Amino acid sequence: MAILVSSTVADGAAVVAEIERRSGERVSACYQCGRCTSTCTGSFVFDYPPHRIMRLLQLGQVDEVLNSRTAQLCFDCMTCSTRCPMNIDVANVIEHAKMIADERGIEGDEKDVRLFRLAFLQNVRRHGRLHEARLLTWINLRSFKPFNDLELVPLILRKKKIHIVPPRIRNRRQLHRIFREVNGGDKS
Amino acid sequence: MNNRSRKDSAAIKAPASAKPGRNAYSYFPGCSLTGSAGEYDASFRLTSEALGIRLDEISDWNCCGASPAPHHWSGNLGVLLPARNLHIASGEHEAMVAPCAGCYNRLKNAQHELTGSEELREQAARVLQEPVRYEIEILNLVELFAREVSPEALAERAQGRLAGLNLATYYGCLLTRPAKIMNFDNHRNPVSMKPLLRATGAQSDHFPFKSECCGSYMGLAKKEIVLRASRRVIEVAAGLGFDAIVTACPLCHQNLDLRQGQINKAFGTSLDMPVLYYSQVLGLALGLGSDDLGIDAHAISARKLLAKIGKGDDGPAAATRSAPAATRPTPEATRSAPAANPASRRQVGCG
Repeated sequence: MAILVSSTVADGAAVVAEIERRSGERVSACYQCGRCTSTCTGSFVFDYPPHRIMRLLQLGQVDEVLNSRTAQLCFDCMTCSTRCPMNIDVANVIEHAKMIADERGIEGDEKDVRLFRLAFLQNVRRHGRLHEARLLTWINLRSFKPFNDLELVPLILRKKKIHIVPPRIRNRRQLHRIFREVNGGDKS
Repeated sequence: MNNRSRKDSAAIKAPASAKPGRNAYSYFPGCSLTGSAGEYDASFRLTSEALGIRLDEISDWNCCGASPAPHHWSGNLGVLLPARNLHIASGEHEAMVAPCAGCYNRLKNAQHELTGSEELREQAARVLQEPVRYEIEILNLVELFAREVSPEALAERAQGRLAGLNLATYYGCLLTRPAKIMNFDNHRNPVSMKPLLRATGAQSDHFPFKSECCGSYMGLAKKEIVLRASRRVIEVAAGLGFDAIVTACPLCHQNLDLRQGQINKAFGTSLDMPVLYYSQVLGLALGLGSDDLGIDAHAISARKLLAKIGKGDDGPAAATRSAPAATRPTPEATRSAPAANPASRRQVGCG
């Protein structure tokens, strides 16, 4: 048991060090004033508000952070980062926690957000530019919410806010090389 | 890094004959402006033309990757996608303009990362199959107009057309953050739209929610975030008596305008706040027709606002309003006016 605990702690320290190295931010500089949380746009849907994420990292409790709804849902508005009196880019810290969670295959409960990012990039991968109509349809079908935003469709059509034919770039060979360069882009 | 003054570039680069405008820029429209934000593209092109700025669309540009690319793939997709655009644009002009705040943000971030990493530059060179060029100056349209148009010159042409309006300037997140990379205005209290807006004759009081987040790209995946965040922005603007919110971001616009009906439905509110693009407002001030500027392409009608500045019902009235050429000073009038000095622009107070 003792060995288990210490290995978790050691792993925690390693992950925190990794986050600090990649993000270039010093987690230890946070003194818990809570300004990040007071300005956070999304904290009402997060399980841990930003200042608690910082504290968890300081304590090496990375499992909580990597599995948190915060890491899945933070959409990087960076308001917290502009308010930090210690100039810590808090959003960047959360961002890197999210990437490490991704790399470790941690999926979490917020499937739709993941799905959105995936759908967006698959869409771009295909034509080089985003086809919004296709994105909306794909998301709705894959997330089993076919009626999501359906009330906006007549408005979108009336205001001509959509193109039916997907836009595409000419040099798709270059585009494919870009996606191949990042491991085939199949990581989801 | 690329601290090019406007005068220098004119001296070095300009083949005088090939310059219909004073200055030419590579134009990166981005996906939104060719789709759901078509009116942003149209109004930007029209307004630029009226102000004598030449825009050359970057040939065969691709999506910048927006928020999902850097967030999702831990590879360098968030750098490589914009790098291709930077590479193409760098061969065309010395500066490029990206009106979409998301594209602007991604392009600048990618440039920053390319500058700092040999490894990334090599990776980019591998996919482009030639050494990557990335040192083009990247501007948003707010910066472009602040540089190319002096408030005095605009005031002279606008002749107080927008008098009577009080416009809330809304910058959102992506124009200003992260501050050390974006280097856009003052990130805690951005003010760079204000001098030109005031030159239109409109009033533009301090809007305390100018850099709050609208909920970003969560509209499809986690709508309650967008509805709540955007509601706050609109409600504060309405409570302070603003006639419209002015934005320079198609995603903000989508959240604030297209989803305003959803907000009303979700919270039982009755918000009715027009949201206009910065280029549309400047276009109106220059006397361009509201139909051409796509004012009618929004979910929330700006009819009340147009009536307030004597444009009445959009259609026919707009045409007659923009017809009399006598009231519109010639392009030469603005062309000879001194351009806004970027240094002095930073010091404009907000009060």
